[in-house]
Amino acid sequence: MRLASKASSPPRRRQSFTEFLGRREVMPFLLLVPVLIFFIIWNTIPTLWLLGLSFYRFSLTSGRPPIFAGFYNFDSILNDSAVWLGLSRTFLFVILAVGIETVLGLLLGLLFWGSQKLPGRRVALTLLFTPMVLTPVASGTFWRLIYDPTFGILGSIFRGLGLPSLNFLGDAHLAFGAVLLVDIWMWTPFMVLMTLAALASVPKAELEAAEIDQLSWWQRLRLVILYHGKFILMLGILLRTIDAFKTMDLIYDMTFGGPGSTTEVIAITLYRRAFEDFTMGWSSALAVILLLISIAFTATFIFVLHSRDRKQASLAEEGA
Amino acid sequence: MRKEIITLNRRGLLKGASALGATAALSMPHIARAQDNPLRGKSIHMSILGIAGWVPSRLGVDLAPDFAKMAKDKYGYDVTFSYAEAPFSQLFQKAATSLATRSQEYNIIISDSQWLGALAQPKWILPLDPVIKKNPALDVEWYAPVVEAAYQIYPDGTKKRWGFPQEGDTMGLYIRKDLLEAPGEAAAFQQKYGRKLPMTWEDFEQLSFDDFVKLIAFFNRPEKGYNGFGGQYSREYDFISCPSMSVMRSTGGDVWDPSTGQIEGIFNSSSNAKALKSWVDLLKYQPPSAINYGIGELIDAFAQGKVFSAMQWCAVGPAMIPDALKDKVMVVPPPGFPDKSGKLVRNYIIGGQPWVINAFNDPDHMQVAIDFMEWWYQPETSLSYAQHGGNPCDKATLSRPDFDAMHPWYRTYKYMLNYSSDFWHDPAYAEMLSTQQEAMTAYATGQIKDPQHALDYAACRQQKILFDEGVATKQPSGACTGMRL
Repeated sequence: MRLASKASSPPRRRQSFTEFLGRREVMPFLLLVPVLIFFIIWNTIPTLWLLGLSFYRFSLTSGRPPIFAGFYNFDSILNDSAVWLGLSRTFLFVILAVGIETVLGLLLGLLFWGSQKLPGRRVALTLLFTPMVLTPVASGTFWRLIYDPTFGILGSIFRGLGLPSLNFLGDAHLAFGAVLLVDIWMWTPFMVLMTLAALASVPKAELEAAEIDQLSWWQRLRLVILYHGKFILMLGILLRTIDAFKTMDLIYDMTFGGPGSTTEVIAITLYRRAFEDFTMGWSSALAVILLLISIAFTATFIFVLHSRDRKQASLAEEGA
Repeated sequence: MRKEIITLNRRGLLKGASALGATAALSMPHIARAQDNPLRGKSIHMSILGIAGWVPSRLGVDLAPDFAKMAKDKYGYDVTFSYAEAPFSQLFQKAATSLATRSQEYNIIISDSQWLGALAQPKWILPLDPVIKKNPALDVEWYAPVVEAAYQIYPDGTKKRWGFPQEGDTMGLYIRKDLLEAPGEAAAFQQKYGRKLPMTWEDFEQLSFDDFVKLIAFFNRPEKGYNGFGGQYSREYDFISCPSMSVMRSTGGDVWDPSTGQIEGIFNSSSNAKALKSWVDLLKYQPPSAINYGIGELIDAFAQGKVFSAMQWCAVGPAMIPDALKDKVMVVPPPGFPDKSGKLVRNYIIGGQPWVINAFNDPDHMQVAIDFMEWWYQPETSLSYAQHGGNPCDKATLSRPDFDAMHPWYRTYKYMLNYSSDFWHDPAYAEMLSTQQEAMTAYATGQIKDPQHALDYAACRQQKILFDEGVATKQPSGACTGMRL
């Protein structure tokens, strides 16, 4: 019986390895392998290493092996007034920079959108986007020179107008504003770009309808433009928030976090402690805390992105 | 006659043979060394890491072709050099991250003097006592005891050597001689202050800090496009710390007790707070941007005629005195501080850098590094280095009668070697320096108003750093709880 059954069913050919790889359900995983290898080597392992190191007391220059210290580093960070000051300075920087950049970006974006037939618009746009494509180190260096009260052009203009030459980066009361201004100069174009993208997403028909209905400029902005463009604008704001939270190179190049500690944002504190002081355990713990804050930003970002899908899905359900 | 000639010829031949033999015998060690040298016939490439834009560092490589020639003749191997560089504030980082991976990317490193502990403690650099014992030529007699203490020894107070002085450096006061000697200035100064305007090197040797303030106030003429003085106040690296600590030490203060690691109560003394205030008070005679001056910015200000005087390292003499200011600048000792008896005291922070040898060099590179050091301290190399504007430290070169006149800053450099000392050769130096720079610049820039508070903050944090490290026996006091800038 067994033999008969065996004889009746066609012999099953052993699947070759290449055939196995070519199967529909295997191929997607296979295509993911290179990126997964890259991700594991450059992301997962260092992150796990960082997490592990944050529980050790380890100074690169002490000559001693790392000592397990439990939550000592986290406790030390949470009780360190310099860290709290750095964090509060960072949040202030993020709120002011992103807020001003968004308002200016929106205004400039609307201006460019409404002047599509003006000659030289493309050139003006290109010039406007230039600061954004410069490296922060280059921007920081030439702004440091511009701000220099002895040799800088700004000081020269002030003197020419009979005004005292201000030391923007050397005065504890002016330095924060001075670096903030450079960040605004550098990143407002990004918000202009996002605004133009948002405006492009507004259906023309609705704009024409708004015109026929004789809606005021403000009504048009609020009820039509922002209604349709807010998701792209939110995306821009969130990207800028995450980026501004990490700002380090621009400020470090201009002031080294000084005068005193008036421009020392938390990323500079981390850099100093890790790569100037070489306190690797403590710095890893701070990096873990900052990573958690960044994850919170990213989660908000993903939530906002998905909220559009959720809203559209619920509208579709209502329609059905 | 014929016989005589033959005899003479024989004698001549014998004499010639003897002379040849003697010459061969004399040169035998070299030949033998070249023949027996395990590196003979090999080509070695050496990499030196040094300070960007720092003439004496660069000279180490610029003079290296002479070493290559000597190495070929004497040891029979070919050697080439390359130079990697980084600014002061990033050099340690560059060296440490490479050495931490046990790399021999940099075979020889020009370290800053305070880094000896941080490089020696993890055993990244070669301990030199066995090397010196094997190569007595490296047991050089230095001009002043501070050379060994600053550039060679770790831990302080021991005899363990880890570095060779690459370049000695002290602070000097650069003065615009042409402005000082301008007609009418001496009489005007005499009339204003009732005392003679210091004109010569000897006059400046006798100049007290208070009189120095009068001098820079007199020459502070922003309406004419220049100020009286330029100093270093930047938060970068150790720029505000070095001059501030010089005033502290010269006025009887100190920065720590190396034997116990005690900082609190020493660094934040009222005398040190007064000294910090004195240094910061000089800002009123300086250009408005002086608060951001580091070494480079001060060079620019002085070389471009923006200041009458500058307290600056002797090592940057070539940059401070460009051709446009040749013969218009004199370099004199920085001011002294009278003690209770009225005697002027100078105890300035020493600059300068030692060579250190990478402990992870393979045997070939290690041997070349040691040969290079032997060559570096040969009298002719040291003299050549001095002639090029480097600051050697060996007694033989500095005692030469022509040394003082070789460069405008040499007399002061040599003089100040006797009145300079170093600070913290501790592995945690970077962390301590960073917090000190933060505190001092917070006061200098007006972020906080009280110099005492700046020093209290720095002392508390430094005490904690050393206690955590196991160097200090005492924890920070209760007064440190919650202290912030």
